[in-house]
Amino acid sequence: MDAANAIVVEKLCKDYRLKATATRSVKSAVLDALRGRRRASVLHALKDLSFSVAKGETLGIIGHNGAGKSTLLALITGTLAPTSGRIDTRGTISSLLELGAGFHPDLTGRENVYLYGATLGLSRRQMRERFDGIVEFAGLSEFIDQPVKHYSSGMYIRLGFAVAVEVDPDILLIDEVLAVGDVNFQRKCLQKMDEFRGRRKTMLVISHDLGTIQRISDRILLLDQGRIMGIGEPSRVVGEYQALSRRSAARGLQREWGTGEVRITGVSFSDGQGRATEHFRWGDALEARIAYEAARRVPNPVFGFAINDAAGRLVFGSNTQIEQVDIPHVEGKGVLSLRIERLSMAAGSYLFSFSVHSADHLANYHRLDNHFPISIECDRTFEGVYMPMRWEVQKP
Amino acid sequence: MLRLLRDIYARRELLLILVSRNLKIRYKGSALGFFWSLLGPVFMILIYAIFARILRFSKGNPHYFEFLVVGLIAWQFLSTCLHDALYAIMGNVSLVKKTAFPRIILPLSMLLANLINFLLTGVVLAAYLLIADATFGQMLWLPAVLLSQCALCLGLGLIIATLNVFFRDTEHLLGVGTLAWFFLTPVFYSIDLQWTALPARWQWATFLNPMTGIVCAYRRIMVAESLPVIPGMALSFAVAWIVLLAGVMVFEKYQSRFGDEL
Repeated sequence: MDAANAIVVEKLCKDYRLKATATRSVKSAVLDALRGRRRASVLHALKDLSFSVAKGETLGIIGHNGAGKSTLLALITGTLAPTSGRIDTRGTISSLLELGAGFHPDLTGRENVYLYGATLGLSRRQMRERFDGIVEFAGLSEFIDQPVKHYSSGMYIRLGFAVAVEVDPDILLIDEVLAVGDVNFQRKCLQKMDEFRGRRKTMLVISHDLGTIQRISDRILLLDQGRIMGIGEPSRVVGEYQALSRRSAARGLQREWGTGEVRITGVSFSDGQGRATEHFRWGDALEARIAYEAARRVPNPVFGFAINDAAGRLVFGSNTQIEQVDIPHVEGKGVLSLRIERLSMAAGSYLFSFSVHSADHLANYHRLDNHFPISIECDRTFEGVYMPMRWEVQKP
Repeated sequence: MLRLLRDIYARRELLLILVSRNLKIRYKGSALGFFWSLLGPVFMILIYAIFARILRFSKGNPHYFEFLVVGLIAWQFLSTCLHDALYAIMGNVSLVKKTAFPRIILPLSMLLANLINFLLTGVVLAAYLLIADATFGQMLWLPAVLLSQCALCLGLGLIIATLNVFFRDTEHLLGVGTLAWFFLTPVFYSIDLQWTALPARWQWATFLNPMTGIVCAYRRIMVAESLPVIPGMALSFAVAWIVLLAGVMVFEKYQSRFGDEL
């Protein structure tokens, strides 16, 4: 491993076996084998990850829930073993994984501090030197001799963070510690992390607080469904994360249903000049080409569309019937085009829905809700849909 | 193996803390403390002694009570280790999931805590035997049998601790298994009872049960039993050390998967 690196991850894969039943027993294992039951399904939590962290670098890790961030940190700490691939680290590692420090609930804060230090290989004498600093940082001098099970979650995490940092590790791994704790604690945490960076210590930080994580990270790693979607300059990667969020939020709102006699097979957007795009400027023209297919001859279909904003509110919708465009019948494959001369909505992301149904609205052939995202740019910061207007100051 | 020992030594502070925590839990929070840990076995021994007398297991052995007590206390050490082993890992889930350290330290700390308890009990037993004016045998064997029993307890403990992580009904299997093993070991009867059931050629096979040799060794030391069992004892000790080796191998192979299962 290159001496400049503190952590090197190479082709890391982690699979989880999803068990059919909650607990395994010898009895169930034997029965399963006798019945020839298939093995449980596998969850690929991390897929072929490779990256490295230089000494003294702070790497922020962001991503949706289930992206694999906590799993990655647990693997680097060593509490989980990789399914394949390797992780090399140089130096002592102190971790706060998912708001836990490994404290035993029946032991007092004091005993747990010494226990934590011991798991890292520190001697009693070394811990004794650091003990007062830890208690002071955590602000727990009154409660340090109480069993940890009586601590509030805030107290627990304060002690956890204090001890994880004071043992002076070479590498510090923090999972969501900034989520809990009051403003004072967060300020102290950030101060401590800045101090850490100043001393050229390596840090990996998971947080959903995009603002803070941009501030403290040298680089940011974006994980999605077990893969690296981006790594590099903080603001750029955060932008990628936000784009990813938009796309998946849209996926969440998507719905599709219908009888299928006529099917919408695809929609493509282009601007006023005929260039294919999904990004428009306010006032631009938008043209949608809707490809459809009818298995048999279908008389008098009505094609419609709706535009919803990012919050799911309907902005504008219409159909061929309202616009008094007659379509006698459709048969086989075809294309319909929709042209909007001026996009008047405020800047933001929008989702197009398209549908085709019978003229009497009784049969819905195909409806694709929120399947087609577009975005609109605008210099002016009005809200909603623009209507031509004028302000005039009247003389009293 | 060497690397493992080095890793354990590097974390000796952790081992110390875990052992003292274990002992504190055992003796704290009860007024009589250490005496409670003795009282249980004492009552159990009395019950066995009375029952054995009724059933005439004493068979004209004037020192039956001492004979029984030594065997029972040795057995107690084993069965406590086996039972505690179930929770060596399962009782420390938070620690295993959140911090990285050689996992073998957990069952090892369990063994050391039980060993200390056993030694204290042994001292009390020795005191009683002195008072009862029993004759002691060859003390020479004491370190060997003690270490061998530790090896057996640790080896089995490692396997049980590992099994219980992956199979949560290990406890039930252990209960049945331990009971059967107890009857197969000449604890409350003398080993020649087993020998009468076997042809002379196969009598050595009784020592494939490691506890047989261990119990006989303790009796040789504490109550000067003088049956011809030395080669048998050596065989039992060897089996105990093989069990330790097997236990270490099994544990080290599966310990990396503990985090996934917990």
